[in-house]
Amino acid sequence: MLRMRSFLPPLLFTLAYAGISLGVTNSYYQLILTLVPVWAVFGLSWNLLSGYTGLISFGHAAFFGIGAYATALGQIYFDISPWLLIPVAAMLGGIAGLLIGFPTFRLQGHYFALAMLAYPLAILYVFEWLGFQEVTLPIKRDAPIAYMQFADPHLYTLLGLAIMLATIVLTQLIERSRFGMALLAIKQNEAAAEAAGINTLAWKLRAITLSGAIAAAIGGFYAQVLLVVTPQSVFGMLVSAQALTVAMFGGVGTVWGPVIGSVILIPLAEILHAEAGARIPGIQGVIFGIAIVCVILLAPEGLFWKLRDLLRKRSVSKSTAGETLEPAVANVTALKPVARPRAATGEVVLEVRNLSRSFGGLKAVQDVSFKLHKNEILGIIGPNGAGKTTLFNLLNGFLKPSQGEVLIDGRNMSGQRPHVICEAGIGRTFQIMRPFLRMSILDNVVVGAYVRARSDDEARKLAADAVARVGLSAVANRVAGELSTKELRLMELARAIAGQPRILLLDETLAGLGHGEADEVVAVIQQLARDGMTIAIIEHTMQAMVRLVDSFLVLDHGAVITEGLPEVVTRDSRVIEAYLGKKWVGHAAN
Amino acid sequence: MNKTSKGGISTGLTRRTVLSGAAAVGLAGVARAQAPGEIKVGLIVPLSGIYTRPGQVMKMGAEMGIEHINSQGGIKALGGAKLKLVVIDCGDTTEKAKNAAQRMVAQEPDLVAATGSYLSSFTLAVTEVTERAELPVLTLSYSDLLTDRGFKYIFQTAATASRQSELGLPTLMKLAENASGKKPKTVAMLMDNTATSVATAKALKEKLLAQEGLQLVVEEVWTPPLSDATPLIQKVRSAKPDLLLFMPNAVSDAKLGLEKISEFGLGQGKIPTVSFSITIAEPDMLQSVSPETVQGIMTIVANWGSKGHEALIAELKAKYKEPWMTQNVISTYGDMWLMKEALEKAGKAERNAVAQAFRTMDAGPSKYYPGGQLKFDEKGRRVGAGVVIVQWQSGVPVTVYPPELAQAQPFWPKKS
Repeated sequence: MLRMRSFLPPLLFTLAYAGISLGVTNSYYQLILTLVPVWAVFGLSWNLLSGYTGLISFGHAAFFGIGAYATALGQIYFDISPWLLIPVAAMLGGIAGLLIGFPTFRLQGHYFALAMLAYPLAILYVFEWLGFQEVTLPIKRDAPIAYMQFADPHLYTLLGLAIMLATIVLTQLIERSRFGMALLAIKQNEAAAEAAGINTLAWKLRAITLSGAIAAAIGGFYAQVLLVVTPQSVFGMLVSAQALTVAMFGGVGTVWGPVIGSVILIPLAEILHAEAGARIPGIQGVIFGIAIVCVILLAPEGLFWKLRDLLRKRSVSKSTAGETLEPAVANVTALKPVARPRAATGEVVLEVRNLSRSFGGLKAVQDVSFKLHKNEILGIIGPNGAGKTTLFNLLNGFLKPSQGEVLIDGRNMSGQRPHVICEAGIGRTFQIMRPFLRMSILDNVVVGAYVRARSDDEARKLAADAVARVGLSAVANRVAGELSTKELRLMELARAIAGQPRILLLDETLAGLGHGEADEVVAVIQQLARDGMTIAIIEHTMQAMVRLVDSFLVLDHGAVITEGLPEVVTRDSRVIEAYLGKKWVGHAAN
Repeated sequence: MNKTSKGGISTGLTRRTVLSGAAAVGLAGVARAQAPGEIKVGLIVPLSGIYTRPGQVMKMGAEMGIEHINSQGGIKALGGAKLKLVVIDCGDTTEKAKNAAQRMVAQEPDLVAATGSYLSSFTLAVTEVTERAELPVLTLSYSDLLTDRGFKYIFQTAATASRQSELGLPTLMKLAENASGKKPKTVAMLMDNTATSVATAKALKEKLLAQEGLQLVVEEVWTPPLSDATPLIQKVRSAKPDLLLFMPNAVSDAKLGLEKISEFGLGQGKIPTVSFSITIAEPDMLQSVSPETVQGIMTIVANWGSKGHEALIAELKAKYKEPWMTQNVISTYGDMWLMKEALEKAGKAERNAVAQAFRTMDAGPSKYYPGGQLKFDEKGRRVGAGVVIVQWQSGVPVTVYPPELAQAQPFWPKKS
């Protein structure tokens, strides 16, 4: 029901647009009306990859051009109808996406963007070298409809609209599915996404394949509208830039962004060209550029988000005027920390044998061995730089050990990719929080649930369950950007347990919390342990830790100094020395 | 955006077609009744972006043409009706050109003919639109493709690219033989990879070089803009060809190449250099290179202000401060006269009648295009269209061939 309702706005928009188009008899205005959905779809295809994953592509013209040339050359050399060629073009675009994505996804950030820039430029020269400087579609006077050469220009607009509607609906479906969640998670923090059980490379490849297919299909349609294909007009820098411009102007990472951008910018550019350009040739570019600069300055994330934030602010200030948001965690804190029997003797679920990792000459972790028993809470402590986080990174697969083994349920998992280890039942949180600020708490948590869930519904159920376990149900629909640090910590915890891990690695979950707040979080962790979770936690705050953990593992300079029960470990002189320095050992003994 | 113009060229629905057809006939009737009225002709050229300069120059030619026609009594068959120029900027991309053409046919329903659009890619896009709107278009672009599409409303006044090299090279060889006493045997070819150069090179390599007994010793292609000409010219220097075909299409590329030729001591005729476009003879060239650097360089072009156009050239100089008359000016000027000719023949200001007049026209030798007749074949190519060879002599590109258009004697630089 909720789904059907969200398809209504695009459908209404498309119908309204089609209505306006049918009322326009001037063939020039009609052409502009045709170009709006063309560039909107191209923007959407860019958005599907770059908007959601955050990997900026400067080279979407590669796919667009492949589609345009496939459609043009197929007609010239094989006399195939574009009705067939455009789907073929989409397939070629998808293949190109896969071929380009596979090597290029090794790069990140600016390097990815720059590498993408190279593809269309390289292909451009290939097509010039092949002698396709100017290609025109053969005119079909006897079978125009069969070759998509409509005498009535309205039909081009309607066809363009149909493609746009299909792309919007597809994007919306993706946005809400595990696919979209995976992409968003990658955008926020690729490492965290891997840790949450997301096979990032596979999802990125799917995204670029689909994105390439859409771009190529619309490129093919564009060739059909333009009737002339030149390398510059489909592979050129300006083409790639067009996708970025409409998407960034309208709003990145939303289905409406490219549509808004295209609806405003394409007619604006044309009107400027026709009106201002006729008086002062060249001025159109200047005005257009200034307009874009102004909008980007005022709404850096695009018009859509700016408008949405404004609307939200207004509605929030109205609706929450009287209501106070009572933290819902309070009910958990009542539980006594001692209510759980210590279980350090159960079966071993995680065993670490002689684990070492060095960075050049620095031995960050050396020869660490320990066992984690079922239902145990193990505290890993040590001074700054002791190798605690590195140890976690080795456990969950971010780093490959130089030596040693990590056995999960007796199976050696060392050196596996993080999402594989996550699937094996290890969840983790991070020292630095990476919430998806614009998403609700529930949506944030859903990302972590997909590793266990088979369907979207199941994932939502698991997520709601996890949110309830950390006591955030009351605020589950609030946007993460509005939360306090404590609530964010709990949300991260919920995300980690949504995937129903058996072992939870918590990296400084209490950092940055006040005294009372830390107690609340500690209570939640204890409840988790009581429910059967095995937990390893890194922490600085000794006080909270002593009450929480069953046993300690103390690291210094990457090596284990000692391990044992809290009472014993805290009196160990080596531990005091590592933490406070030699001269304190004497004091502590008293 | 839901504005509708009164004369939309919507050819989709039969009823609408009939109606607009009726409207057009009605309008034509009105125009005749109000004689002498105004007859609109279009000029669709780049007036913004990197091709602005050629567009501006074409506009000069069109304005001069219109002025001369109107001051000499307008269209006599239509009671002395005056021509009115409608100028449309086709921008600097294929998409902009297509949009501009659509705007032209939608917003200016009473145009009877148009001319444009400099770059053949733009002309291709523009004529896809005008063909469907049944508006006749004259063009100075010379890509073969333009008139290979089976279109009925495009008329190419220049010799096509492949024809130009076919005509040009043998002439050039004769020139060389006459002037230096021996035929060149080896040739180096440096070209950019634009459509024009590629078409020319194809014709040369596939047929013409062998036909003239020339051996290709160096062949280098670059993608504009050229960043450094050193490696290209080094190859030429070590191969020591009898002839260098240098084919840039951007003034900056031409400048880089010629300066390097001069720097390597190959200039001033050490190796006779020939080009195939007007780029190398544009007035802009002298802003960046000295007259000595270009001295003796020849280029084969589709048209040039030459012998018999002295008064025109003088007027262009006085009015627009243009030092000489390139193909863009003279061809566009001639297009206006050609449109007048067609209007006189058609006897009515209606685009289909004008198109038919172009198709059936046989108006004798051409005054403003080199060689041939004012007559078009079934493809829309001007019958007998020839070429002009232009040579830089003392800082001015002058015509040296064909003899009847030559402003000066050619000289063949002596190999030392």
